[in-house]
Order: sequence, then C-alpha cells, then structure tokens
Amino acid sequence: MAVQDYKPWGTSPFLQLQAQIPLQSKPEANSVSRACWHSLPQLCSLHGLPSSARSIPCQTTLLKLPTAGPDEMVSEKSHLGDQQEPGHEDPNADARPLSMPTRRGPRSLPPIPSASRTGFAEFSMRERMREKLQAARSKAESALLQEIPTPRPRRLRSPSEKELETEFGTEPGGKIQTTQQEDDSQSYSRVKFRDSVRKIKSKTPVPPGFPSAEEAYNFFTFNFDPEPEESEEKPKAKNRDGANQEEGEGEEEEAPVPEGIDKTDEEVLLDDKDAVDFLLGLDRGAEDIVAVRPADYESVHIRLQKEKELLFIPSRRTVPTYKKLPENVQPRFLEDEGLYIGARLEVPRTNQNIMENRLLMQEPGRRWFGDDGRILALPNPIKPFPSRPLVLTQEQDIKAELETLYKKLQALRNAVQVSLNPAKTPKSLDTTRRAINEYKSEIRQTRKLRDIEQEKDRTLLKTIIKVWKEMKSLREFQRFTNTPLKLVLRKEKVDQKADEEAYEAEIQAEISELLEEHREEYEQRMDEYRSAHQQWKAWKKAQRTKKKKKKQGVEEHPDDEMEEPYPEEDPVKPVPPEPTNQAVIEQEVRERAAQSRRRPGEPMLVPELSLAGSVTPNDQCPRVEVLRREDVKRRSVYLKVLFNDKEVSRTNSRPLGADFRVHFGQIFNLQIVNWPESLTLQVYETVGHSGTTLLAEVFLPIPETTVVTGRAPLEEVEFSSNQHVTLDHEGVGSGVPFSFEADGSNQLTLMTSGKVSNSVSWAIGENGIPLIPPLSQQNIGFRSALKRADAISSIGTSGLTDMKKLAKWAAESKLDPNDPNNAPLMQLILVATSGESYVPDFFRLEQLQQEFNFVSDEELNRSKRFRLLRLRSQEVPEFRNYKQIPVYDREIMEKVFQDYEKRLRDRNVIETKDHIDTHRAIVAKYLQQVRESVINRFLIAKHHFLLADLIVEEEVPNISILGLRLFKLAEQKRPLRPRRKGRKKVTVQNLSDGDIKLLVNIIRAYDIPVRKPITSKFQQPPRSSRTFSEKQAASPTTHSPTHSADYPLSQVLVRPFVEVSFQRTICHTTTADGPNPSWNEELELPFRAPNGDYSTTSLQSVKDDVFINIFDEVLYDVLEDDRERASGIHTRIERHWLGCVKIPFSTIYFQAKIDGTFKIDTPPVLLGYSKERSVVAERGFDPVRSLSEGSYITLFITMEPQLVPGESVREKFDSQEDEKLLQATEKFQAECALKFPNRQCLTTVIDISGKTVFITRYLKPLNPPQELLNAYPNNPQATAELVARYVSLIPFLPDTVSFAGICDLWSTSDQFLDLLAGDEEEHAVLLCNYFLSLGKKAWLMMGNAIPEGPTAYVLTREQSHYLIWNPCSGHFYGQFDTFCPLKSVGCLIGPDNIWFNIQRHDSPLRINFDITKPKLWKSFFSRSLPYPGLSSVQPEELIYQRTDKAAAAELQDRIEKILKEKIMDWRPRHLTRWNRYCTSTLRHFLPLLERSQGEDVEDDHRAELLKQLGDYRFSGFPLHMPYSELKPLIEAVYSTGVHNIDVPNVEFALAVYIHPYPKNVLSVWIYVASLIRNR
Amino acid sequence: MAEVHVIGQILGATGFSESSLFCKWGIHTASVGLLLPCTFHHVLRRHLGPLLVLGPGAAWKLLSGVREGQTQVDTPQVGDMAYWSHPIDLHFATKGLQGWPRLHLQVWSQDSFGRCQLAGYGFCHVPSSPGTHQLDCPTWRPLGSWREQLARAFVGGGPQLLHGDAIYSGADRYRLHTAAGGTVHLELGLLLRHFDRYGVEC
Repeated sequence: MAVQDYKPWGTSPFLQLQAQIPLQSKPEANSVSRACWHSLPQLCSLHGLPSSARSIPCQTTLLKLPTAGPDEMVSEKSHLGDQQEPGHEDPNADARPLSMPTRRGPRSLPPIPSASRTGFAEFSMRERMREKLQAARSKAESALLQEIPTPRPRRLRSPSEKELETEFGTEPGGKIQTTQQEDDSQSYSRVKFRDSVRKIKSKTPVPPGFPSAEEAYNFFTFNFDPEPEESEEKPKAKNRDGANQEEGEGEEEEAPVPEGIDKTDEEVLLDDKDAVDFLLGLDRGAEDIVAVRPADYESVHIRLQKEKELLFIPSRRTVPTYKKLPENVQPRFLEDEGLYIGARLEVPRTNQNIMENRLLMQEPGRRWFGDDGRILALPNPIKPFPSRPLVLTQEQDIKAELETLYKKLQALRNAVQVSLNPAKTPKSLDTTRRAINEYKSEIRQTRKLRDIEQEKDRTLLKTIIKVWKEMKSLREFQRFTNTPLKLVLRKEKVDQKADEEAYEAEIQAEISELLEEHREEYEQRMDEYRSAHQQWKAWKKAQRTKKKKKKQGVEEHPDDEMEEPYPEEDPVKPVPPEPTNQAVIEQEVRERAAQSRRRPGEPMLVPELSLAGSVTPNDQCPRVEVLRREDVKRRSVYLKVLFNDKEVSRTNSRPLGADFRVHFGQIFNLQIVNWPESLTLQVYETVGHSGTTLLAEVFLPIPETTVVTGRAPLEEVEFSSNQHVTLDHEGVGSGVPFSFEADGSNQLTLMTSGKVSNSVSWAIGENGIPLIPPLSQQNIGFRSALKRADAISSIGTSGLTDMKKLAKWAAESKLDPNDPNNAPLMQLILVATSGESYVPDFFRLEQLQQEFNFVSDEELNRSKRFRLLRLRSQEVPEFRNYKQIPVYDREIMEKVFQDYEKRLRDRNVIETKDHIDTHRAIVAKYLQQVRESVINRFLIAKHHFLLADLIVEEEVPNISILGLRLFKLAEQKRPLRPRRKGRKKVTVQNLSDGDIKLLVNIIRAYDIPVRKPITSKFQQPPRSSRTFSEKQAASPTTHSPTHSADYPLSQVLVRPFVEVSFQRTICHTTTADGPNPSWNEELELPFRAPNGDYSTTSLQSVKDDVFINIFDEVLYDVLEDDRERASGIHTRIERHWLGCVKIPFSTIYFQAKIDGTFKIDTPPVLLGYSKERSVVAERGFDPVRSLSEGSYITLFITMEPQLVPGESVREKFDSQEDEKLLQATEKFQAECALKFPNRQCLTTVIDISGKTVFITRYLKPLNPPQELLNAYPNNPQATAELVARYVSLIPFLPDTVSFAGICDLWSTSDQFLDLLAGDEEEHAVLLCNYFLSLGKKAWLMMGNAIPEGPTAYVLTREQSHYLIWNPCSGHFYGQFDTFCPLKSVGCLIGPDNIWFNIQRHDSPLRINFDITKPKLWKSFFSRSLPYPGLSSVQPEELIYQRTDKAAAAELQDRIEKILKEKIMDWRPRHLTRWNRYCTSTLRHFLPLLERSQGEDVEDDHRAELLKQLGDYRFSGFPLHMPYSELKPLIEAVYSTGVHNIDVPNVEFALAVYIHPYPKNVLSVWIYVASLIRNR
Repeated sequence: MAEVHVIGQILGATGFSESSLFCKWGIHTASVGLLLPCTFHHVLRRHLGPLLVLGPGAAWKLLSGVREGQTQVDTPQVGDMAYWSHPIDLHFATKGLQGWPRLHLQVWSQDSFGRCQLAGYGFCHVPSSPGTHQLDCPTWRPLGSWREQLARAFVGGGPQLLHGDAIYSGADRYRLHTAAGGTVHLELGLLLRHFDRYGVEC
C-alpha cells in the first residue's frame, strides 16, 4: 500500500453553497446580512447542490474555488477575469457554474474599486488622498461650527459594531489597501498570506481596475448607510459556531476591527498637521479650531424611527403554517404517510423562525417551503469524508491540478484515438447496404464523440498551460521552487502543407459525410412528403370530382398548388423539404473545426510533465519557506488497517516527503475468521514527537471473491480531512482561507486530502485454491447490504454474525425502518432470524508472528527441559520438588516422563497390577478421580497463606507476663515433677530432611502377656534349648514339676522392650522386666517428607504410620558343650512379638502431640504367652485394670520442632439446604462455640460432591447384611458385635490423607460400601444406621478420642446402660470403662436432632447421656425450630452382593505368594526355608480363628500344634486386618520382625486366609511363624 | 527456545505523597493491549464474553515463577522511600521476540482506616540486555474531575482504570487526565539463553 499524492484538495461543498446563496437573496439582502445566511445553506441550499458536488474529483475543484462571499466576488470580477475563464472552461468543474452567476450579484454599495497591488497605486492613491483630504479639510473647516455628522459618535462604539456598521469588514482587499496607505507599520491581521501580499506589492504591474481619485475619496469618506446592523449582529453571534467558512470569514472581518479607530486617528492627525500649518502660516490659536460641544445625541425614538424605515428585522415568532402554504392547502406530513424523511439537522427554533419570516418577506413565492410547511431541507449536509490540506504551499496545489489535468489529457487522447479507429474501418468494408448504413450512423456518432473529445482535449491543454503559467508566476513571486515538477511543452513541427492538406481532407470528408447525411435525410423527407402529397392529392381529387369545375394542370405542379390557398381543406398540405445547402454545411464544419481542432500549421503541443526541475535549496529560500520545509520534515504518516473495525495491523510511520508523498510498500496478510464487513485504512499524522492525529478514514471495498493476489490492480482511494490547521509559516494549513492572489482576493479554503493507493485481494493457498470465504447461502447475500449500512460498524463484527444481537441492536438504536439506508438491514433482520452463525471463540491478532518466530510451537513443546520445568512449576505430583533440572535437553532422560505419561494415559484404564482385587482397583481409581476433582476445586484456597504462615513474631513480653514470671520465681520448685512446657511452633517452610524429628516417649505398659511355662510333661525341652531367663528363673527350683500351676511371684515373667519403627527407621528401648514395665525413655526418629517437600499439603498427605511394637526379649543358651558352661556364656537373644500400636503420622501432625494410654493390639493367639496373669498379685494392685482385657501402653508422641498444622479450608459451599436451616446451623454453632469452644459441634457436613448437607440426613436405619443377622438369630448382642466387626473390616482411610488438608468429606453409606474406604465418620454412620435398623437406640457421638483426635463414635442405649462403640475397631466399651479411648463428648446426633453437650464435663465417664434433659443437652430442633422432616441422603436399602469365594481364594493365594517373596527379600543374606507342613497346619487353623473372632482357640490350637510339630520350637502369631491394599499387609508383616531371626536352621511358615463378607468386605488373616528344630 | 530469567526485586517507591504504600505488579507477555483499541475490548466483552485472544504473547511460555503479585504495605519510618524488596523470579521460554515481557505496576496506599486507594499506575519493559538493571518506573494516576479530586482529598477513593489494559496500551490514553505519582524502583537481573542461536545479539 502506498499513499500517493498527499496533497491538499479543496473540496468543500460549503464553499459552493456559500456562493450560491446570493442567488436566492434579494438585492436588499446585501453582503452585510450575509452572516445570518450562514445557517441557511446548511438547511436548505443543498437542493441546489448537485450530488456530483460531493463526489467531484478533487483535482477539478482544486484551485480556484472562490471563497465566495459576495464581496470577494466583486473583487474577482475586476481582477481575476483571466484566472477564471479557464475555470469556466473546465468541463469537469461541475461546481464552478454554481458560483458564476453570483459574481454578478447585486450590491448596495457603490462600486468599489478593487485593491491595488502596486507601489504606484499606493503612491498615487496617497497623493490623491492627500489632495482630497486637503479639500475635505477646507470643507470641514467651513462646517466646523455645524453639526458633526451622525456616524461620528458611532465610531466610538465597540469595535465589533463599528466593523459591521461600516462596510469595510466585507472588503478585505480594500481594507488592506487602506490600512497600508495610512499606516504601513500598522499591525493588522495575522492572516498569513498578507505577507506575500506585501512582498509582491512592489513588483506587480498596475492592475487595470485602478480606482480613480474620486472613487478613492468616496471610499474613505462615504457615509455608508447604517444598514441592517441589528439583524446582522444577532445571527452572526449565533452562527459563530457554524461552518468553518464562517470562522474564516470571521477572521476576515475581524481584521479591520481597529480600522475605524485608525481612520479617525488618522483624520485627527491630519487635522493636527493642518493645524500646525495654520499655526505656522496664519498664526491662529488652537481655540479657533477646537470647540467644546456637548455630546451629540439623537434620541432613541428618532433613531428607532429611522431604523424602522430602513431595517427589516425578521420576527422570531413562529410563522403560522397557513402563511407558508398556498391558500386552502392543508399541511401534508410525508412521514406520517410512511415515507422516509431523513433526520433534519438541529437548528434552533428561533433561527428557523427568523429564516422563515425573512423568506416570507423576501420571496412571497413560498418556494422555500415544503408541503409540511417547513423549510425544505435535506438531511445532514455534513460531508462524511473530512478534508483538509496538509502543510502545503500554493505551488503544490497548482502542481496537483496540473498533474491531474495532464493525466486527463492523456486519457482523452487515448479516447480520441480509439474513437477514431472505428471511424475508419467501415470505409474499407463494403458489404451490404444495410451494414453500410449502420456503419454510417456509427461513424456519425463517433465523429460527434471525437469532436467533443477534441474540444475537451484542447481545453485541457489550455488549462494545463494556464496552470503551468500560474505556477511559474507563483514560483517567481515566491522566489523559490518547491517541487521538481516541470512542464515541458514539446512542439511537434508539422509540415505546414501536409497538415493543411490533411486538415482540409478531413474537413472535406466531414462535409461530404454531412452532405450525404443531409441528402439522405432530404430524400427521406421527400418520400414522406410525396406520400403525404399523394394522399392530399387524392383527397383533393375527390373534392374536385365532386365539384367538377376544376381543371387539370394542377396535377403536374404540385408546387403551384401549394401556393394556392385552400382555406376550406381539412388536411394540411405537406410542405416539401428544402434541399441542403452545401455552403452552409461547410461553413458549420469549418467553424467547428477551428474551434476544437488544431489549426493547420499550428505546432502540435505535447505537454510532458517531468520531475526534472530543480528544487530551490533551503539556504536560498526565505525563512518562512524553510520553516515550512522543516515542518514538513517533522511530519510523518502511518496507516492503520482496520478490519471489521478492529485494528489488525499498521504500517510503519514514514516521514512525509517534500513532495507530500509517502511510500509504504507494505503488504499485510490478514487471516480472517469473521465475515469481512469492512476494511478501513486510517491515516494518522504524527507531528514531531507529539501525539498522532487521525487525518481521515479510507474505506476500502471488500474485494470480490474473484480478485485474488496478483490479479488485483492498484487502486487509488481519495481521502480528506476536516481538521483545521493553522500554521505559522508559509504552509497553507487546512480549513484556513488563503488566496493565491497577492491582494488576498479569490480566497480558497483547502482541506487536507490525499490519496491512498492500495490493492486488496484474497490470498491464494498453497495448492492454488484462493482463500476466499465460503459461499454461505445465508451470509453472502447480506454482506454487501451490511457493508453499506454504516451503522453496523457501531456494534462490531461479532454482532453482525449474531442475528439476535443485531436485531436487538436495531431495536435499541431505534433505527428508522423507513430509512432507505437501513432497508437491507431491516430486511436481513426480518428474514434471517433463524440463522445461527459460527462465531469463532478466538481472534488472531498477528499473522506475521509466524514469520518472526525462532522456532515452531512443536519444537518448543518438544523441549524436555521446558517441559520438566513447567511440570515442576505446576506441581504435578511426579515432578513436585524435582531438584536441579539439567541445562541441556540431551541430559534429560526420556524415562523421566514415563510415569507421568503413563498416569495420564491410564487415567481411565483400570490397572489391576497394583491391586490384586479388581474391585479395589476400580475403587482406588474412583477415589483418585474424586480426589483430583476436589483438589482442583480448592486449588486457589490451597495457596492461601495465613499471616501465621509467613510471619513468626516473638511476642514482646508485657508487664503481666513479666509479673507472672516473677511470681513463678517464688513458686516452690518441684524438680521431681517436671512439667511440659509449650514450644514454639514452626512453619513448614524452609525445612529440609533431618530437621524434623519424631519424638516418641514410651513411659510404661500394663498387662503385657507373660510367658507361659511349658506345660507339657512329655515334651521336656532339653537343657540347651530352655530359655535363658527361664533357666535362670527356674534355677532355684530346677525341674520343679509344679511351676506351671503356681508361678512364684519372684519369677521373671516377661522381659519386654518397645521398638518404634517409622519410615523404616527403627529405635528401641531398653529391656524392662515384668508384665508392667516402666521405660520412661524418649526415642528420636527422623522424619523425611516425600520428595523432600515440606509444604503443608505434602505433610498432610503423608500416609506413613508409626508402629510401636512390643517385644519380649528371650535369651537362649546356645552353649553347645556343657563343659564350657563354667568358663563362658553363650546365649542368643530372640525376640518375640507381643503386640503393636499403630498411629498414623497424620494424626500426630494434626494433633501436634499424642499423650495417653493405648491398647496394644495383640494377636488373638500368642503361642507361649498368656494373658492370664497372676490374679492374686494384680487384683489387689489395681482393681480397675482387672476389668479390662488386653495390654496397654502409655505413650507421648510429638514432633520436634512443632509444626503448624495446615488449616482446613472452611469454604462456603453451595447447598441445597433451606436457607433458614443453614442460618440456624450457623447460629447454633456460634452459640455452642461461645460456650464451649473446645467441644466439637457438627451440624452440616460436605458430601462427596462438595455440597453442604445437614448432618442428620445421614442417619437412617439401614439393613445390615442378612448373612450377619442370620448368624446369631437369638442373640442381639452377638449380632451387634458381628455387625460392628463387619463395619470395622471396611478399611480405614482418613479424609485428610485423601484430601490433604482440604476438608472432611462425608460419603453416604452406600458410597462408603462401594468405595470400601472411609474414615471414622463413615464407619460410625454405617454402624449407627445398622444399629438403628436392629432396633437399638443409637446416636452418632462426636468427640475426641485417643489416638484419633476429633472423631465419631457410636453410642447405643441398652436396657440399663450405654455402650460406646468404636466403629473402626469394632470394640465396644461401657460408659464407665476407664480404657475407653473416647475422652470427650461434644455432641450427639440422631436421625432427627442434634444435641450439644452443655454439661460441665465432657468425659463420658462423668456425663449423663439423657438427652431429654435440656439443661444437659442443647438440642438443635426445639419448640422454636421444629424438626422439618428432612429427607435422608441415604439410600432406601443397601443391597449386598455375595462376594465371589473363588476370587477371594485366588486373592488369598496371591497374597501368600507375594508375602513369601517379600520375606525372602527381607532376608537377603540368609536362606529362607519354608516349612510346608506347618504352613498347611496353619492354613487349617486360620478359618477357625475367623469363626471365633480370635477368641478361645488358643489352647486347642496350641495343643494341636504341639502335637504336630513336636520337634520344633515355634514362635508365631496370626495377624488380622481388613483388606484394602497389599501394602499395609506387607508393612504389618514386616513390623512384626519375624524375618529377623537369623538362626541358621530356622524355618518359616506363612499362611493367609481371606474370609469374604458381603459387599466385597474381606477379612484377612496372616499367620507368620518361625520354627526352630529342637535338637 | 530461548529462555529468559527475570530475577530481581521491586525495591520500593519514592516520591508518593501518600505513605503506607503497597504495590501490585504483574508481568505481561501478550501485547494485546498495545494493538487493540479499548473499544475493541468492550465490544468483545459485550458480545462474546470471555474470549481467547491469540496474540503475539503466545510466543512466551512461563516455565516457572509467579506472574503477578502484591507486596506488603510499607510505611516508611525513616526517609520517604517505601521499601518493599519484593522478589520477582520468573523463567520464560520464548519462541519469538514479540511480546517481550513488561512489568506493570499499581501502587496503592493504605490509610489509617485500612482503606486502600490508588496512588499510581506504572509500566515498564523488562530490560532486554542481560545483567542487572536498576529501573525507575514513574507512575501516574487518573485525575478525574475537580469534584473527584476534592472528594479524593477529603474522603479518599478516586478514579481508577476500569481495565488495566490502559496502563500499557496507548490506544485510549488520550482520554485520560492524569497526575504524576511517584517512582517505583526496581532492580532486575536478566539472564538470557540461546538468543544468539536465533541471531539475536545481546
């Protein structure tokens, strides 16, 4: 695209309008009243404006449009005759004729001689002035005593009035002259061209219209009529804001403002001078000249009277309609009739009234008024294309015209050439007569055409020469040349004779043609005449035969008859045509030829426009010109390309050349996705470093689909701007009137305008297919229509494609449906409302992006390093906390991504490898998905940090703390009872491996199982194999037969020690003695976070457990030879697993510390150990403990440093609950928290889909599996226990692990059973529901337990007492059981209410569970808020399918195999032998255990084992677990340490039994044992 | 394939009449705002809702780091410079030069009631040569009418940009009347990698 010809064009319809007005005005409406007409052209005179006036090619109207005030026209008449004639001849200047008649517009002023341009004029003028003034002085002297004429005081009025009052304001030329005459140094208007006027003054010759002395005198002394000054003032003021023309004129008129005063001053000055003369010559006193008089006063009345005679003041009142319309005509409103009437321009009502009144007064013809009684007016006359010239000198303007004219000429030449050619062809062809006739007529027409063209050609040539002359004179006058433009008229010498011959031949040919033509015509007419005459004759004959008196003779000479008058005849006698006169024709032809053709012998002029001329260098130019050039240099232009009103690209900013050309030469590729509706170029101009201004918009047509790249021609689109630019140098500016004439006449107002040459086309794709928009039957039709509807641009492209939006917009913007402009749009909206267009959801900004890219997207995405970096940044689990990403791609192994990719790939594929059971695999997958979705929901909340996370601030001790400290000093010291002190909490950031330690303080244990004496008499162990302790203990009473029956009290029963294993790190305590050992030891275990990520979320998701195993240390004497016994002791230490406590790390993390006594999980069968203790000794010691079963250990576990647990996010979830209910829950919770902040109160929970649900909806009687009910039909207690066991067999998976730190999600019972995983709440809910179904009174009990922390238990009411059920273990406790892990009770939840514990104590031991007492239990639903009958979220019924026994058996085998392999792996340095016999024995035994739930089988089992494995020392135990995954099983086996035995001849036995319960709940039994053959 | 590390800090701000300043910042790599006039955005927002703009910024990929943030509120006790020392650490990969990252800043002041009001908008490009750069980013804020200025002087608040685009797009600026705010000081270290491979010398 290139902007060419950035030149000023002066197309302004206003100018033409202005010129037109005086035509309509009466002679009285003189130039003074012009101002009030300004509003008129905008209103009405557009009628007169041919539509072509708008679209006049700029080049034609370029130069000489007069800024046609009537006054200028006068001066034009006198001076510019030569200039204007060519303008009239210019056939293209459509607008020119408009202004022509105005020149002869009448004026009321006396004829004013036009301004002189010469020094001579000035001189002689001055001379004459002086004479006249002299004369006037003498006259004045004589009249001195008389009244001073009235205009005098008026001059002292405000300058603006004066200016109007005297007619000077309308005579710029004259004014300038006068001011210069009187005072050259007088500062006058700043209109810039005056500079040049002054310069030219000395040079220009005397113009012909030089004023005579008389005229000059008149000019200065004439007292102009104080004509309609009132009427002109007001409209002028009102029209100040009118068209730009006005402003120009306003400036014009302001120029002479000081003039009136100047003149008076001048006169006074002259008077003074005269006075001095008189003083010198006649010696007269000043008082003779000066007289003091009272101020002259003319009464207002008189003045008004006078004015009334002279002035016509149009009324401002509304003109009644009947006056404006012809008589008896009702106003007719076209709009009401449904015709479209464009919106009129806003004109104040008063202005309209004034106008109407004036029109009525001036032209009673009413032709200004339409049918509706309003002034005729077109819609908005404002030109849609703004225009203004840039910084230009006049030369450029001329040059532009010249150039265009030249082009035109060339074109015409061609046309002539073309038109001549066909003229010759027919002559060579002589076929048929008809053809010849056709050709002849063709020739005739062509000839006519040629004549016209030739005439035009000549005119153009004349114009060119004239313009060039003008330009030359201007260059001369300016004394510099701006453009390299040069017109060379090449004379082509012609052979005079040949030329004359040719000329003559052509004329002759034409004449002969014409003659022929005429002859034909004549013949034709003769024929007509003859036939007509025949008829007439026949008729006459008939007449004659009737009368029978006429004679013959007449028939021969019809001509004679013609002469004979037949007054009575009806048919008119035909007149014979006159024969053609050759001479006349020849005369005509010759005349025409002389006019339009080159005379023979006259040299042929070929104008050649070249750029060979030299431009005056800067240093030779005047300063103003240099300034202008510099200004031009500062200016730069760029274009924006707007597609569908969106800017898509822009060109570079290019400086404006000295010839006002800017070459861009850029191609913009647009890949469009929307329908092309508009393509606009915005031309921006930048001046220096200041901002850019939008010069103009150029609307380019969307090319036809056939126009593709390469085929599109370069087109020129014109633009112009309406900006006003006034420059302080030689430049023309824009919208500022100026004149080419030295005297400032013939004013022009040019606007910036120019041309953009561009080409728009569709691209061609790679395969040669043009990339044109597809022909959519819907859109293609309207597109052209839409393009025209300009209003569309206001709603943007997207609106266009959406019909509904378009229709809406049309309705909103109140489109006039009758407006023809909107017709296509309206039709479109009406017709196509069903069209659904595709609106792409993206918008491509820059296509060139591709070209500038370093690499392609694919390559960027292929980079492993970037991928790794991004994945790490996105905290993808596999890459979270990935350290040190290699610098080079080649250093990154492809397998890094394998896991991640596999996970992505397998997201929906169920992987059964890790999960032996397919159902579990599905569940695990599902859980994973739920987890991901939930985590995504809370992603933002996760990154929400609390102030405490970021800032750890040591509290400055205040006075109260100091006081307390001081007080403590005085406190009694109790060193034997140390207290735990609170520690500083540490945020999880900035931690690394080894910083965190797990502190396990093992204090003591109770009721550790004791070794059983070997009872069998028949299996007296050999001495060497007896236990060391046993031996030692038994040594005083060696081989006492009674030691099995009554143990001596002093005997060492067991030597337990505690081993804590966490993350495969193992620590153990020292060995203590006895069943109630006290260690009081602190074990320190390092903590390692997964992937070294110590963030809160990571820590929360640590799934590791702390295993606290209690072992019995057994010493065996391995001395082989008894003889050495005296000299050495050889013992082997064996340890026997007694039980374990398993505490999840997450519990420790959230609880910060765990302090309490826990029940040790002991295997149901512990061979060689007995829980029966020496009842005598223990009972007396601690009666309470005797009630309990099992062993207990007291622990204190914490972390060092203390970590701040992550806050679980309490987000506001959306809910389907009633709003009132939710408010009530909030209120209830707030009240409860106020009273007992530490007690757990739960009213709403979040279900698995993330919605808030009222908690009681979870409780509903649900049927347990029928299988369980059938087991003990008559024993409800046993059934309840079985049910509890069933529930406890469902694997435990804390929410905090699966949804790290986010929230507690509650799944319904069926979901829970499907997932087969859940935490305390789900277990408790299910158990509670089963109990309710069994007819028990059961509640969900929320409270704190050890070690779980806040948890849920189930409370049931039996006949007389309450039972507390731990749903996760299946155990139950009485209310007053000391070893009940539940330590505090917060609230009870039933199926229809919630009760909050408001008793003083919260320990179940000390509270009353009678919920009917409102003083003890605060209920949620009460009388004020009755239970609304909430429906349950639980299913109606649980459906249990029987678990596939075969699948269970298969799983059993696989687990056994895997475990065996694991044990072998754990013993890498030893041979692991499996005792098959023992294994099969154990395998038989495990189902028994399941059946009896691990009770009361020990003795039988032992007996059987002893019987079968008599030769072996056997140590082992069964483990019982719910089945979820394989990993916990392996961990559990590992933690028992069975594999640690490194006796050379050890053998192992491992048996697995899986008992399937309904709904795929599996109970897993693992029996591990080690056997050592006794020798 | 080239990489850009931006490591540095927003040191602080001087020259603001308000005390208790904090700064919101962001690094943009799409030059959408520069090219599209604001009207375009409005039209799009109105008619299409959220829309994916495939701009030149698509050439930039954030490998790690946070694109935007907010500093703490700093009330200078000594001197008039508010120190934030807010770290910026970003790692970009780019396949082109278009949409070179630019930093836009909004300085806000918090008054004694905890209300925040705008103190200045600022914008600067991330330097394109490697090394440590000390940047001073002058800021401005919309002035509003005299009524709004009066209201701002007494009750706080004041005009803010509806769309942050105007901070870095030149399209609609002419409609704004602005007053100068203070200067935000930045210290940015640039590490460029592989630009030479694509003929970009730095």
